Amino acid sequence: MAITHEMAAGMGGIRTAGDLVARMQMTKGMKIKDAKEYVAAKVGVSTFDLCDEAVMKEVREQLDIGHVQARVGASIGMEAKFNIARVLDMKIQAVENFKRKTGM
Amino acid sequence: MSDIFTRYGDGSPTRMSKEDIRFDLEEGTRDAADRGKIPALTEAELDRLFEICTMPEKAVTVERGDEVVVSFDAGTLKLPVRAGIPMDRSTAILTHERAFCSDTMELGHVDYSYKQLKAIIHEECQAMEHIQLNTIIPVFYGAMPNLGLYTKPDGPIDNWSELLPLAKIAEAKAAQEEAVEHAVKDMVYVASRMYESGADGINFDTVGASGDADVLATLQAAQILKEKYPDIAIEFGMAGEFVLGMHGELYYDGTRLAGLYPHQQVKMAEKAGANIFGAVINTNSSMTFAWNIARAVTFVKACTEAANIPVHVNVGMGVGAIPVTNTPPVDAVSRADKALVEIGKADGL
Amino acid sequence: MSIEDIIAESRETILQCDQARAVAVAERAVAQGFDPVQVLSEGFSYGIRQMGDLFGRGEVFLPQLILSSEVMKSAVVILDAAIQGGTPQAKAKMVIATVEGDVHDIGKGIVVSLLKTQGIEVYDLGRDVPTVKIIEKALEVDANIIGTSALLTTTLMGQKKLEDELRKNGLRDKFKTMVGGAPATQRWADRIGADAYAEDAAEAVTKALALLGR
Ligand code: B12
Repeated sequence: MAITHEMAAGMGGIRTAGDLVARMQMTKGMKIKDAKEYVAAKVGVSTFDLCDEAVMKEVREQLDIGHVQARVGASIGMEAKFNIARVLDMKIQAVENFKRKTGM
Repeated sequence: MSDIFTRYGDGSPTRMSKEDIRFDLEEGTRDAADRGKIPALTEAELDRLFEICTMPEKAVTVERGDEVVVSFDAGTLKLPVRAGIPMDRSTAILTHERAFCSDTMELGHVDYSYKQLKAIIHEECQAMEHIQLNTIIPVFYGAMPNLGLYTKPDGPIDNWSELLPLAKIAEAKAAQEEAVEHAVKDMVYVASRMYESGADGINFDTVGASGDADVLATLQAAQILKEKYPDIAIEFGMAGEFVLGMHGELYYDGTRLAGLYPHQQVKMAEKAGANIFGAVINTNSSMTFAWNIARAVTFVKACTEAANIPVHVNVGMGVGAIPVTNTPPVDAVSRADKALVEIGKADGL
Repeated sequence: MSIEDIIAESRETILQCDQARAVAVAERAVAQGFDPVQVLSEGFSYGIRQMGDLFGRGEVFLPQLILSSEVMKSAVVILDAAIQGGTPQAKAKMVIATVEGDVHDIGKGIVVSLLKTQGIEVYDLGRDVPTVKIIEKALEVDANIIGTSALLTTTLMGQKKLEDELRKNGLRDKFKTMVGGAPATQRWADRIGADAYAEDAAEAVTKALALLGR
């Protein structure tokens, strides 16, 4: 079912910008249009390109916010989240916890 | 053959003439409009829905640019539990993130009720902390309010399901009011701990499964959480298309909860501080897919129009026009998704 | 008062949960010599089915539904006595349960409440009930109908299992069977050979009465 929904209507998660748009819906209660516009402006692409794997691969690699393919030296997990919080100008609870625990 | 391949709400395949499909679409939207006291779909919308129902492709998709966010309930119950794949929950979440490309995921325990989580909260917090280190996508923590668990023999309160048939109505109502207090405490406690452990959001799943008191408890819990943590993300996933009046006289902010339909429920969720609303429209297993989808889209459209927050339509088995069967067929699922997003204007699924 | 007035008023008393008036109408109907069966089926029963319907639309809530079924019961006592010329009619018996592995019982509870208003003696075995238990109870009380509820696609098979077990044990003709719950359909009932399917509590009443030949 997860795959069927993703194929039929989903944004594509970290293949594209699905996780980023989801974060804006979750934290700011933005409707899909506003959430896409916010993210598109922050990452510097059109809202249409937010679901384009080719465009977003480059954007994600450039911003170092994590991607499906593991690459040596690229940010994963918490590291990627630090970058996402900065790029989207938002607070991520787990990132805040990390900073607090490590005295950052 | 002029007949169109389609299905019933229980998934069983059938063929229908174009006229019959059109008829069921009209009946479906009429039924929703009548029950919800909301506008029926327009002719143009019905035409589009007819096209979606009759497309020859096995699977259909939304148009480019119309993609939406997908969130999950019972997230980590799906791969390791229901599908029986021996993997731990963090592997399940990473599989969703890196292989399925899900936009979000949910961590949940097999005993999926807030009440049951108190005793194992430390393990759940620890799981969330670990998972947060490894994941990129936002991860919710989710469970059900499940007010029924506060009644005998599972809990301390007299069981209203036993009191009501005995016509002990005052007692049944008092019991429900008492359960609300317990449930609010548990939900606030568990959600607070999970949020502090790094959860990106809290999902209240199947809100209203025990009726209007279940809804009241969740609204109150959300409100308290929002006051405590202004940045907390809350998703409200409903149990049914209207709030079942097990009590009948419970109010939130002056509005009676029993009998509210999605376009009214979402306003309550907003007031309580929810960030995402999970609308539910029940699938009728006896009726056709056309009837069910017209009905679901009509309710969803009214809901998204009323909402100021994003609406994620529940599209699991048996809701949102998805057939009530364990393996919902891709033709029906993909058509439901397309119609709910395109015509219902859903912000997510 | 004409029979039409009596029927209209009896429906109203149910919709308004007005016990005193329901009893009064029933007594008046009997005193005026109207057919109690007609008053029951076209008046009170119609009203209770309407209540069930309104409940299914979220316009009436469970406490009201329960209250109206209590009101109904008190009218039934009076009309029943008149039907039998003083001696109460032998009660039809129904055993009902949510099938094994399934704990959903809200809908079944509503069905039970409405069936009871029809003077049917209902033995509610609760939820998560093994097939053998259901059959044992049906034999013990000599039930007319066995009703099963299933809310999960995985537990729906419990309804088929009941049919199979009844057939295997040569008991199939002893009882009428009735199935319900969200994943059940008329098609399902036909496929497994159940005698009736009902979509909601109001229809459950109609179908049960039909099975009983009333
Ligand atoms: C309430 C509820 C629960 C409650 C049950 C509380 C209780 N005491 O009953 C709780 C929280 C415990 C629960 C648990 C689960 N649930 Co649940 N639950 C529901 C929910 C939200 C509502 C059901 C309900 O009460 N409806 C209201 C009543 C009035 O309607 P009804 O039951 O259909 O009854 C009417 C008719 O069907 C008919 N009828 C009913 N019985 C009978 C019998 C006869 C003889 C006749 C003639 C007629 C008849 O008349 C009734 C009155 O009009 C549904 C979703 C939904 N919106 O339907 C999911 C749902 C049924 N649950 C579901 C699931 C998956 C589960 C769980 C497995 C979840 C989990 N992983 O924990 C567990 C299973 C537990 C178990 N082993 O049974 C799924 C089933 C999907 C499927 N493919 O089968 C549903 C559809 C939700 C979903 N889409 O995921 N659930």
